[in-house]
Amino acid sequence: MSSLVLSRAARPALRAGPAVSIRPTVPNAATFATLREIEGRLKSIRNIEKITKTMKIVASTKLSRAQKAMAESRSYGKTSNTVFDKAETKALDSEGNKTLLVVASSDKGLCGGIHSGLSKIVRKKLVENPDAHVVCIGEKCKSQLGRSSGKNVVLSFAGIGRDIPTFAEAQAIADQISQLPGDYESIQIIYNSFLSAVTYEPRSIEAFSEEAIANSPNFAAFEIDDEVLSNLREYAFANSLYWALTEGHACEQSARRNAMDNASKNAGEMINKFQILFNRTRQAAITGELVDIITGASASESV
Amino acid sequence: MAFAWKAAGLTYNRYLAVTARVVRRSLKEGPRLQAERRGEMELKFARWENGKQSENKSLAEANVKAMADAAGSQSQ
Repeated sequence: MSSLVLSRAARPALRAGPAVSIRPTVPNAATFATLREIEGRLKSIRNIEKITKTMKIVASTKLSRAQKAMAESRSYGKTSNTVFDKAETKALDSEGNKTLLVVASSDKGLCGGIHSGLSKIVRKKLVENPDAHVVCIGEKCKSQLGRSSGKNVVLSFAGIGRDIPTFAEAQAIADQISQLPGDYESIQIIYNSFLSAVTYEPRSIEAFSEEAIANSPNFAAFEIDDEVLSNLREYAFANSLYWALTEGHACEQSARRNAMDNASKNAGEMINKFQILFNRTRQAAITGELVDIITGASASESV
Repeated sequence: MAFAWKAAGLTYNRYLAVTARVVRRSLKEGPRLQAERRGEMELKFARWENGKQSENKSLAEANVKAMADAAGSQSQ
């Protein structure tokens, strides 16, 4: 009778098996699920839940700050892009021009598929345009893209994403990129655009080359000297970069918050399952012992 | 129009960063500390060649050096 109870009790552990991928040896036979093992596992899941809960709270507070910074930076990017909208600037799309993809990710993981989403889009663009060069901002995309398309990577930046990106950082990055050998006719900044607290979408902002700006139809309306043009381009690039970085940062924080929320939820579910398993196993052990004692007692009595 | 900072090899972004730093440093104590946190930049960068990453270097130092090189080449 006790084995029947045990085999039924072991089933929840089996179902929970895929979720604990870190521990490949899930007790599949009832005899392996000793009380102490279950207790230890329960304890470790509780600890994980505590950690993920704390990370979620940290991410939530960071998110509100990041969102504020994003709203501010958006006006930077939008304002500087208004010039190009009004001038009707278009990217020069002649065949075989050199493209630079700037990927705005960050150094930290544990935030769902936010970085791999960016990498995927970059890979797709690289398939269309195999000669394009890639600049990686942040370690995560660097390691992903470095593995799959390392030949296209020309520059990588690290140290971003600890805090809200500053304009100084965006400027420094823009400067370093503009020092790259080779004139890029088209520079695309790929970033995660913040749609709502739960959704984001990889998008790209076009940063125009000097030629493209000079060739735009309504360019004359702004009366820009040729000499100042390169300044405008550099500054606009830094603006767009700053926008992309802060928006990406806000997305990352919200994604981390959601990921940690889900992780704590899953941990809570697992704790429930293991608690039930633990209770059942304990009960089964007690019942088994009782049966032994009673049969022993009755056997010795009858003698 | 000739710009003095351009002759010194600075890019526009670098020029802006320098002027912003000056403004931040001339603020009163309270707001200055807050503002100076916005000017911090501790990025590192690395060049890639043929799919291999070279050493990580400080971005700030590299930028300053590049500006100095640009100034040197222009004055000659």
